[in-house]
Amino acid sequence: MVSTATAEAPQSGKGLSPAAEPAVNHIEAHGLNKTFGSFKALEDIDFAIRNQEFVSVLGPSGCGKSTLLRIVAGLIPYESGSATIKGEMVRAPRPDVGVVFQTNNMLPWLTVRRNVELGARIRNMPADARDAAVDKILDVLSLTKFADAHPHQLSGGMRQRASIGQALVLDPQILLMDEPFGALDALTRDKLNVELLRIWQESRKTVMLITHSIAEAVFLSDRVLVMADRPGKIVEEVTIDLPRPRNAATTRAMPKFGEYVAYLGKVMGVAS
Amino acid sequence: MPGVSSRLAAYSQVVLFFGAFLLFWEYGVRYFEVKSYILPPISAIAVAVWEARSEIFENSMYTLAEVLIGFGAAVVVGVMLGMVVYVSPFAQRTIYPLVTALQTTPKSALAPLMIVWFGYGFISKVAMAFLFAFFPIVVATLGGFAGTAKNLEEHFRALNAGPWRTFTTLRLPSALPSFIDGCRVAMPLAMIGAIIGELVGSERGLGNLIMLGTASTRTDLVFGCIIVITLISLALYALIEFAAKSVWWRGIQV
Repeated sequence: MVSTATAEAPQSGKGLSPAAEPAVNHIEAHGLNKTFGSFKALEDIDFAIRNQEFVSVLGPSGCGKSTLLRIVAGLIPYESGSATIKGEMVRAPRPDVGVVFQTNNMLPWLTVRRNVELGARIRNMPADARDAAVDKILDVLSLTKFADAHPHQLSGGMRQRASIGQALVLDPQILLMDEPFGALDALTRDKLNVELLRIWQESRKTVMLITHSIAEAVFLSDRVLVMADRPGKIVEEVTIDLPRPRNAATTRAMPKFGEYVAYLGKVMGVAS
Repeated sequence: MPGVSSRLAAYSQVVLFFGAFLLFWEYGVRYFEVKSYILPPISAIAVAVWEARSEIFENSMYTLAEVLIGFGAAVVVGVMLGMVVYVSPFAQRTIYPLVTALQTTPKSALAPLMIVWFGYGFISKVAMAFLFAFFPIVVATLGGFAGTAKNLEEHFRALNAGPWRTFTTLRLPSALPSFIDGCRVAMPLAMIGAIIGELVGSERGLGNLIMLGTASTRTDLVFGCIIVITLISLALYALIEFAAKSVWWRGIQV
């Protein structure tokens, strides 16, 4: 059951260290295969993401990382192997899993507030709990001033923030993000990375982030899974041992940060 | 305020243009001695309309009722069929090609048939208005539903939204701009259909009045009726435009 965040009852995960909850793997995949016709999109995918862990899946375009996320989200079927969330086979989208896509999913005819509360309405959250949750999310995402604006009146960055709000409104324990900042300019992207980091550090959700930005993956993640294409498979796993809480200025300036970026670049064949 | 003076200029251009046009009509036919049963001067038309005002008003209301009922039926049936074709692959394979084929039939050719089926009265004209308005509405409705953004559909699936919720919250608002476009096309067509029906065989309506005017070489009255029909069509079109304002998100991509 999803806990509904209210102003009186802050999210339960706040301030807890990962060890305080039972060490359950929230997301797991074993020997996962997916083909589209004769095209092998994913081959023998194996990975696990622990409770409250932030894991990025890094890979070139077309390596199947978005397909992997859609399988975990229960949006598309897979042929063989298994994908589980909290030990249960994934068959359909779940209420305890929030998904953020690359294209923002704003309905143009609804205000920002209405857009953010969409998931809560669809899942029939009581109105007062819903209003409290939306107020809080709009505040966290600095969108309160724009609550009554329509999406086309916002900048791309604000729309993407609101999209994250759409996923957060149900306070899901697990957040799946498919290149959420991929369509934004570098500066906005950096800012939203910082914002996402802050949100995660406060609420400690289990996050699976699909990205092709090495710096983004290193900055945010506990662990980075590197995928290669044709067929898509995981070729490398790097634990990002940078201290938390991280922040924009100090973390990115650490020598270790640069080393991780350089190493992952080499793995992906970007750097020489 | 900028724009006011240029708008005033634009309006005055329109007024001047139409004024010049009417003056040319009025004095042109006199100057070139055009027979009044060919083209009467505009003043004679105005007089004819005024003298026959109660008759024209009565027949206008009759034709207007045909158009509105035919159009309304076309909206109801057209939207339903558009939805059925959208949700059912079977209907898409069977009914839709049939509808498309029928769309290429000249609808005016169906007027005599409608009179055989439904008689000389009201119903056959409603049927004609319906036939003319129906196809654009089906096509526009179907296009509207089919044009629902794929990423939004996936978003709704990720939220486990049921079919009804997805329909009312996503598909319906997505389809509205296209549907309104269909109405824009269909409304003048409904008028055309009703008038053709009345010309082919009727006892009342503006089309009937045109036939009576022609038979008694009252060309002034015929012109009067044509002008009244045009004005009614314009008013109906303006009504659709007004309704379209509430669907302001047409063409907005976010």
